[in-house]
Amino acid sequence: MKQIALYGKGGIGKSTTSANLSAALGAKGLDVLQIGCDPKRDSTRMLMQGVWIPTVLDLIREKGEDSVSTDEVVRKGFAGVRCVEAGGPEPGIGCAGRGIIATFRLLERLGALQGDVIVYDVLGDVVCGGFAMPMREGYAEEVYLVTSGELMSLYAANNIAKAVARLAKRSKQTCSLAGVICNAKNMAGEEELVREFARRINSEMVAYIPRSRTVQLAEVHKQTVMEYAPDSEQAAVYQELAGRVLTNDRTSIPTPIEMDELEDLALQFAEI
Amino acid sequence: MNSKTSHSSSQRYEGCTLTGALSITTQVEDAVTVVHGPEGCAHHNVSLLHAAMAEQGHPAIPKIVPTRLSEQGVIFGGEEDLAATLRAMADRRPGVIFVLTTCITETIGDDAASVCSEDYGVPVVLLPTAGFLGGCFSDGLNAALTTMAAKADPVEGAGETVTIIGEKNLEYEVEENFAEVERLLASLGLEVGLRFVRDVRYADLKQVGTGRLNVLREPSLAPVGEALKERFGTPYISSFPIGLDGSIAFLEEVGTLLGLRTDGAVRREEERQSAMLDSFADLRGSVFSIDPMTFRALECTPVRRVMEALDLQVDSDGAGVSLPYSPPVGTAGIRRLLHRWRRRVHA
Ligand code: SF4
Repeated sequence: MKQIALYGKGGIGKSTTSANLSAALGAKGLDVLQIGCDPKRDSTRMLMQGVWIPTVLDLIREKGEDSVSTDEVVRKGFAGVRCVEAGGPEPGIGCAGRGIIATFRLLERLGALQGDVIVYDVLGDVVCGGFAMPMREGYAEEVYLVTSGELMSLYAANNIAKAVARLAKRSKQTCSLAGVICNAKNMAGEEELVREFARRINSEMVAYIPRSRTVQLAEVHKQTVMEYAPDSEQAAVYQELAGRVLTNDRTSIPTPIEMDELEDLALQFAEI
Repeated sequence: MNSKTSHSSSQRYEGCTLTGALSITTQVEDAVTVVHGPEGCAHHNVSLLHAAMAEQGHPAIPKIVPTRLSEQGVIFGGEEDLAATLRAMADRRPGVIFVLTTCITETIGDDAASVCSEDYGVPVVLLPTAGFLGGCFSDGLNAALTTMAAKADPVEGAGETVTIIGEKNLEYEVEENFAEVERLLASLGLEVGLRFVRDVRYADLKQVGTGRLNVLREPSLAPVGEALKERFGTPYISSFPIGLDGSIAFLEEVGTLLGLRTDGAVRREEERQSAMLDSFADLRGSVFSIDPMTFRALECTPVRRVMEALDLQVDSDGAGVSLPYSPPVGTAGIRRLLHRWRRRVHA
């Protein structure tokens, strides 16, 4: 079983990438579980044809942890991908970090954490311990950083690399960096910039996903690209990513860089 | 600032902030104290307070109710649990409900203040007591006293009685120590009105401003003494009298503050002290070995003075004794100490 996690700045397109990756893996006949770890709960929506599935934490809140069943939390979506949304408390109340932990414990107890590939789509703009939880507790073994060439998005990716490096020092650590995915904004020099960034942090750019109108069109049809336009160029990009993820056995302990170096890098590649 | 956790000074008075506040709130007879947090935070305090009360001959179960925060409360916020507990407790019509927060509820950011500010039909008093924010036992105790003092009614003109502030409700000899102070005050013709806070009802607390004089249990309560002085103009003495000289100084200080003649009372106290020392003449020249755990208390001058007066020696061959954690209060405190030592010598 492969357990991969996609991390990156909020709004960078982790959910779109995760959903299409899961769909591509599912289309290959693999048993895939995608878990959205964001209170926004929109990770699996396109896989579910636009349906908001009930979140684990909503169910726990309403019924109590002991009465929640697997069928209620795990829903089958496109290409047989099994979908879970962790959810969260209302904004500003309680501790969502603890909520993510509770979600994983429940799924584990229900025996739902299985399959050929588990894709964790982890929330972006979080600083508390909850966000590192999938890595820390050994659920996410291979971490992919999703970034564009924009400075703030590289900055976030670099910060996550720091978390991976820190966790890698622990004795029971099982997570490592598996690669960088460039979800492009179509800036000039972007591909080279992200490739160089990946190299500097001791990793590799494993996919370059160009910005495409097909993604937006699929979205308004409440579908993944894989379902909406299976023969499109964009679908081929996700298929390639899926193949790469499946065969990828090169992981590393990242070497995050300093903010200055990051800025220099951006200046060097950006064609302004 | 956090002053706990040093191993060398660890004792019951340096625990969690919650424990400090509970040692006060649980002394209000008609109060219920709600601990907003996991059950464990309440449980170990209940055991401790129960044991302390039993030692003092009052084996009552302290009225502490936890909101029993579980993982569900931590994830979704515990405000509703708190409100539900407050409603349930209010149905029992207590004189007051004290609400104490804990590490976990402060960490997840529950807005206990707004939950407490709703109308439950009984007074609800909030005390933030999360230990991890840097507080320790004495911070909780001071905060409880200060908050309660702030609720007191304004008064016109000083009354006749003396108010005792901040007794150490968890110490073994709390009643004996109180009795000694009461005796010394009586020798000047003064009466104790309110014990703030011990064996009182919530309504009594409102009278904290009506005393002529406040006597603090120990100097660390100075902020409470100052607050009361500022609000009601009541002068204060910063500590219970310690040992023999302390008793004399106490009488003189009370006299100065209240403009009373003290020579008669001082003379009678001195006579009492020398008679007491004479009654221990059999101990003269005895040798003691002091329990190393309590050895530092030897630096306590009042104990040294008595040892000198009776020519007592310290040597590892002597009869083993330990010294009290808190210095002996008044002439009676010294007498009890010597009684214990005598039992060791004759053991
Ligand atoms: S230190 Fe914190 S967690 Fe421990 S008992 Fe006190 S309030 Fe509870």
